[in-house]
Amino acid sequence: MSIALQLRELLRSGIHRIGELEIQTDVYGYPYVICHHEDAERSTDSAFGGLEVHEGPADARDLSTYAPDGSYRFAKGQTNLKQGWVMALENEEDLRLALDQFYPAGVGLFLASRAGALETETLREKLDRQTGMYRFARTISDAGAQRLVREVCGPAHQCAKKILWRIAPETPLEDSEASRYNGIPGGLAESQAIPLLCREACNHFVAECRKAAKAENDARSEAT
Amino acid sequence: MPIAPKPSSALLIVGHGSTENPDSSTPYFEHADEIRSRGIFAEVHCCFWKEEPSMREAGYLVDSEEIYVVPDFISEGYFTQDVIPRELRLTGPTTVVGGKTYHYCLPVGVHRSMTGLILKRAREVAPGVDPAQTTLIITGHGTGLNQNSTKAIRDQVELIAASGAGYAAVLDAFMEEQPFIAGWDKMALTPNVIVVPFFISDGLHSYQDIPVLLGIENEVGAAASQREIFRHNPHHVRNKTLYYTSAIGTERLLADVILDQVSDFDRIHKLS
Repeated sequence: MSIALQLRELLRSGIHRIGELEIQTDVYGYPYVICHHEDAERSTDSAFGGLEVHEGPADARDLSTYAPDGSYRFAKGQTNLKQGWVMALENEEDLRLALDQFYPAGVGLFLASRAGALETETLREKLDRQTGMYRFARTISDAGAQRLVREVCGPAHQCAKKILWRIAPETPLEDSEASRYNGIPGGLAESQAIPLLCREACNHFVAECRKAAKAENDARSEAT
Repeated sequence: MPIAPKPSSALLIVGHGSTENPDSSTPYFEHADEIRSRGIFAEVHCCFWKEEPSMREAGYLVDSEEIYVVPDFISEGYFTQDVIPRELRLTGPTTVVGGKTYHYCLPVGVHRSMTGLILKRAREVAPGVDPAQTTLIITGHGTGLNQNSTKAIRDQVELIAASGAGYAAVLDAFMEEQPFIAGWDKMALTPNVIVVPFFISDGLHSYQDIPVLLGIENEVGAAASQREIFRHNPHHVRNKTLYYTSAIGTERLLADVILDQVSDFDRIHKLS
C-alpha cells in the first residue's frame, strides 16, 4: 500500500497530529485541512476563522522555512512553526506532499518504524562520514557527545524529534529529557499522533559536535 | 525529444543544501515542482547532504520500486562520485538497494543542453547588447583538489565558442584558481561583459562572494533571501558595462536538463 494510502488509514484510526501540525478531515468540503495545532479550534470557525488560506500543497515549503521571529528553521523538527494559516488539500497524495515539506520523510519514517524496517545510524557512523571542515567532528569524546545531546536536542531546545540513535553500538544515550522524549509535542497520547523520528544525528548536531571537538582539542593542547 | 512518461518510477533529485539559509536548496525544490507538474513520474522528491531529508532518509520517502537519481550538481567530482553513491549505497549505474532499483544518472552540469541555458541567461540579462562587443565569462569555484569542477565549465566555454552565438570572446574564470574572476576586466577586451555563475543556487559563492570579486559590492552582503530586491543590471564598473546573472541552476528550465539526464541514462543503458 502506498505511503499516502497508509496515511489515510492512520488518520481513520484516530491519528490527527504530526509535529506541530493538526490534520483535520472533511472541513468545508475539503478532505484534509492542516494548520498549526494551536490554530486548530479557530480553523473550524466559518471561513477558517480568518486564518490565511492556502489551497494545495505548493506553499508548504514557504510556510515552514522561517520562524515567527524571521529566523531560518534550519532543522525541520524545530518547535517554532508559524501560526495563522490553514492549508486545504484535495486528497491524501497532496496531504502527503505537504507533510513531506513540513516534516521531510516524517510519515515514511514512522511507517517504516512501525513495520520494523527503519534502520538507524549511530553518531559515530554519522560523524565518520563527514567531509571537509566537518571531518574534525569525529574526534569528539563520548562524554562530550552525551553532553551535547542534553544541550542541543529535545523539546527544551526546540526540537520535537524522538532520538533513535546511539553514540556507538555499545554506547546508548544517557538518560535525559532529550533521550526520553517521544517525538510528540503538546503532550498528546501516542495513539493520536505520528511521532517525529530522528534516525540519525542532524547536520546541526554535527556542526555542534565539530565546535565541541575543537574546544576539547584546545583544552588538551592547553593542558600539555 | 520529450521524455516518455514513467508512471511507475520515482525521480530523486539530490542536492547539497545548507544549514545556514534556504537559498541553497530553493532551486532543487523548484526543479522538483516543475517536473512534478508535468506528471511524468509517479513521484518526485528531493534529498540533501546538508538538509532534510538526508540521502539516507530518501528511501523512506519513495513508494516506487524504480528510482532515477539525478545529482543536481554542476560537475562530476567528490560529491557525485563518492558521497552520493556511498550515502545511497549505489555500486554502479543500476543498483538494487532494499528491494528498490536505483538508476544513477550523471549530474546536470555536464549535460550538453546546459549550453542552451547559458546562452538564454546571457541573452536575457543583456537584451539588445551586441554580442560582437561583448565577452561572455562563465565562472565557477575552481579548486586544486578536483579538476572535474573546472572541466565542466571549460567544456561549456568550448561549446559556446563553437556555437556561432557571436560573442567576441567566451572565457572561463574561477574564484580560487587561475584565471581568477577577480581579474575579469583585464581578461575582457570588449566594452560589455556578461558573467554567468555556473552554480546551482544563489548561495554564498555566486550571490555573496563573486559580486565582491567583480567589484559590484564592497563587502560580502546578505544572503539572496534576505535582500528585498535582486541586483539591477548593468553595473558600470572598472570602465566596463558588466551584466551579472543569477546562478545558472536557478533557471527553471534546468528541470529539462534533469529530464535529459534521465533520457540519456535510459539510452546509454538501453532501458527504453
